[in-house]
Amino acid sequence: METDLRRYQRNQRSISFEDQEKLFRSTAAVIGCGGLGGYIAEELARLGVGRLILFDGDRLEVTNLNRQILATEATLGQWKVEAARKRLQAVNSSIQVECIRDWFQEDSADPHLQGANIVFDALDSIPARLALERTSHHLGIPMVFASIAGWFGLLGVSLPGDFSVKKLFGRQAQEMRGVEASWGNPAFTPAAVASMAVAEGVKVLTGREISLHRSWLHVDLLAMEFERFEILD
Amino acid sequence: MRVTIKLFATLREGRFKVENWELPARASVKHVFERLGIKQEEIAIILVNGRDTQVEYELQEGDAISLFPPVGGG
Repeated sequence: METDLRRYQRNQRSISFEDQEKLFRSTAAVIGCGGLGGYIAEELARLGVGRLILFDGDRLEVTNLNRQILATEATLGQWKVEAARKRLQAVNSSIQVECIRDWFQEDSADPHLQGANIVFDALDSIPARLALERTSHHLGIPMVFASIAGWFGLLGVSLPGDFSVKKLFGRQAQEMRGVEASWGNPAFTPAAVASMAVAEGVKVLTGREISLHRSWLHVDLLAMEFERFEILD
Repeated sequence: MRVTIKLFATLREGRFKVENWELPARASVKHVFERLGIKQEEIAIILVNGRDTQVEYELQEGDAISLFPPVGGG
């Protein structure tokens, strides 16, 4: 479909026409279409990222309504990736949306991710996030990692070879259970952290300086504190 | 020795944000966990003066210890 460029016009001072062209030509993979992934995909579609690859093996259910933008009373029971496709095509019919109705698995993800310019981690466990970093690194794709729990979140950018997620969580990640299990994720946390992840992703895709390379941002929406920490070797 | 303890996110609940502690010489990060009543598996990230550190690390005068819980959801 013909793109009506007026939809991007007012972004121009923030995202130049050249940068917009780069976004049109970009492919972004969103791994997980829950709290973070739903908002990430929404923003990428509105930004005009040309091709989106969405991963999720789950259907929408009533407990998702508290935070997931894809979950409405009307979409309950639908596959998350299918609900995402419908919503994203309604937002922007000029982008391509590819759906993988499955969980991200390290041993089978390569063919789906090949050709992606960026991978957004919207997974819900630390071990899965470590596996996604290994996959992204081996395919040479920059990764924006993000996670949330309660009023809190963190995010950063891991370029091939950085192993930032491993350095951050490697200590005892396998047996670790996130505090989200008891704190949940109220609506504002995925929305805020997803937006920060997408802002970093746009910098990666347009060749701007990345703010959270070899570092991570701690997000505390309860105290409204945002602190950046270096990831040192 | 004097050290600074900084707690982040859910670890602040029922505790504090920042405190200065007097600890015996050769105390380790593990010692801090014990005094806080926090189990090792409740901590995902330990930074001492901004650097990733293990629980066995022996603290030095003036160290700032920052502790973070595992935040893993999406």
